[in-house]
Amino acid sequence: MLRQIKPRTARSKRALEKRAPKVVENPKTALFLRGTTCSQKVQDALADLYSMRQTHAKRFHKKNPVHPFEDASSLTFFSEKNDCSLILFGSSNKKRPHNITFCRTFDYKMFDMLEFYLDAESYRSISQFKGKKVPVGTKPLMVFAGTAFESTVPNEFTTAKSMLIDFFRGETSDKIDVEGLQYVVVVSADEPTSSTTTADDPSSKPVLHLRTYLIRTKRSGQRLPRVELEEHGPRMDFRLGRVQQPDEAVLKEAMRKAKTSEERTKKNISTDIMGDKLGRIHTGKVDLSTLQTRKMKGLKRERDPHLLEDDDSDEGGDLVEEEVQVKRKRKN
Amino acid sequence: MSADAAPSAAATSKPAKLPVTVDKPTPYTFDLGLLLAQDPNPLSLTTTTSSPETREAELAAIARDGTQSLINQLLTTCPISATKEGVLLSLPPPQTALPREKPVPAVKAETKWSAFAKRRGIKPKTREQRRNLAYDEVTGEFGRKWGYKGANKAGQDEPIIEVPFNSRKEAERKEGTTIRGDKRREVREKIKRNERKMRRNQRNAEGR
Repeated sequence: MLRQIKPRTARSKRALEKRAPKVVENPKTALFLRGTTCSQKVQDALADLYSMRQTHAKRFHKKNPVHPFEDASSLTFFSEKNDCSLILFGSSNKKRPHNITFCRTFDYKMFDMLEFYLDAESYRSISQFKGKKVPVGTKPLMVFAGTAFESTVPNEFTTAKSMLIDFFRGETSDKIDVEGLQYVVVVSADEPTSSTTTADDPSSKPVLHLRTYLIRTKRSGQRLPRVELEEHGPRMDFRLGRVQQPDEAVLKEAMRKAKTSEERTKKNISTDIMGDKLGRIHTGKVDLSTLQTRKMKGLKRERDPHLLEDDDSDEGGDLVEEEVQVKRKRKN
Repeated sequence: MSADAAPSAAATSKPAKLPVTVDKPTPYTFDLGLLLAQDPNPLSLTTTTSSPETREAELAAIARDGTQSLINQLLTTCPISATKEGVLLSLPPPQTALPREKPVPAVKAETKWSAFAKRRGIKPKTREQRRNLAYDEVTGEFGRKWGYKGANKAGQDEPIIEVPFNSRKEAERKEGTTIRGDKRREVREKIKRNERKMRRNQRNAEGR
């Protein structure tokens, strides 16, 4: 935990305000770092991912003796110190070769973690592809293909998807230049094979293919263009390893939406085609016992017999008058 | 898989229209705010024994179909506006729920003054009202309202200050003070009073 700083100058105040919680958040900053042992492939892969995430990324060059799944405290420290909430930690050892641990923090505490085991044979870096490269900071299109991502219960694939969307989404904007739709990141997941009974064995799990393509549009003779793709790199195949899902309470807190000033839609009020405002109201329960049905002699209510017997003619008259009043009241 | 995997048809007759539609058994789902498309169809990859080249071609075909449908969706559903900067697409807000980076900021506690102002409909001062410059009718120049040579300090440092006759203030005057420096004392008192109120508001906010 960093010490709490009370700003004494306007500059430090601005710096603190910049990293304070906000209703509409800044784009997340990604931190790239490596463990004590890290293969060249993983370092290259991290460098590629770093270049794709430029302007919202930080990179460490020294080795860090960290094991995220055993003790993530130093990663959360880095997160707080650098105000980064995405952490990509590269490491490589005999049991888990070519491993990129993808971590997210919430409020500078570890939110979730997932291991991506890079397939070293099929990996190609950006520099191994010829052709034009997209400028720094271009927002990619994203395509996720495969049934594995469609799971309704959270598993490592939905976590991976959420993390990759978080990683590639860049700055949110309500307008985008058509010229800016330059490249697409496609993540396709293999079909889960039936022999996934040995769940712990990563080699039996479906492979994630991360590909990046440049978009070439051609005139199709119609209004919409024909899209052709050209590989841009990097080309990475992953298997998913250990996963740490977020706590229920933390997840709820992290998914909370701030109350915005925009008006909520009022219930039961609608506008029809003519532009007239229609409202549906609740009128309460209707008392059907007082409903006036067809009048017939046989259905006529009898006078209270003992009252009629006892009373004089005058009082009887009063009673009739009272009844009329009651009827009027009901009508009102 | 896709309907437009027909390069042969395009090759035979050059002016034929290139297909731009994508047909899949399960339709794509989109989140245009994030420029995201999701293809829920199972990947029809051949077995792992196939060569890397064919596998790449298959992946590229899936990617092309996804990108085509995403771009179709973007260009058909988003309002397009042509400006000097270029052709701009207006994107809807993102739908996919992603975790926040930091918690939602707590709502600021209401102070006694802000509650009163709300009740009375008092609006905060505008930028122009808060400006420390005002036109002086007498001299015909702009001068400060407060601070160094501020208008609220006028007459404080005159060599001779008139003491009002028979005033209550003079009767209740503390021992050892004169009318000189009265204003400064008043200001100090106001500051202290305000600080007291600030502390009280803070206490109330924590107590909630």
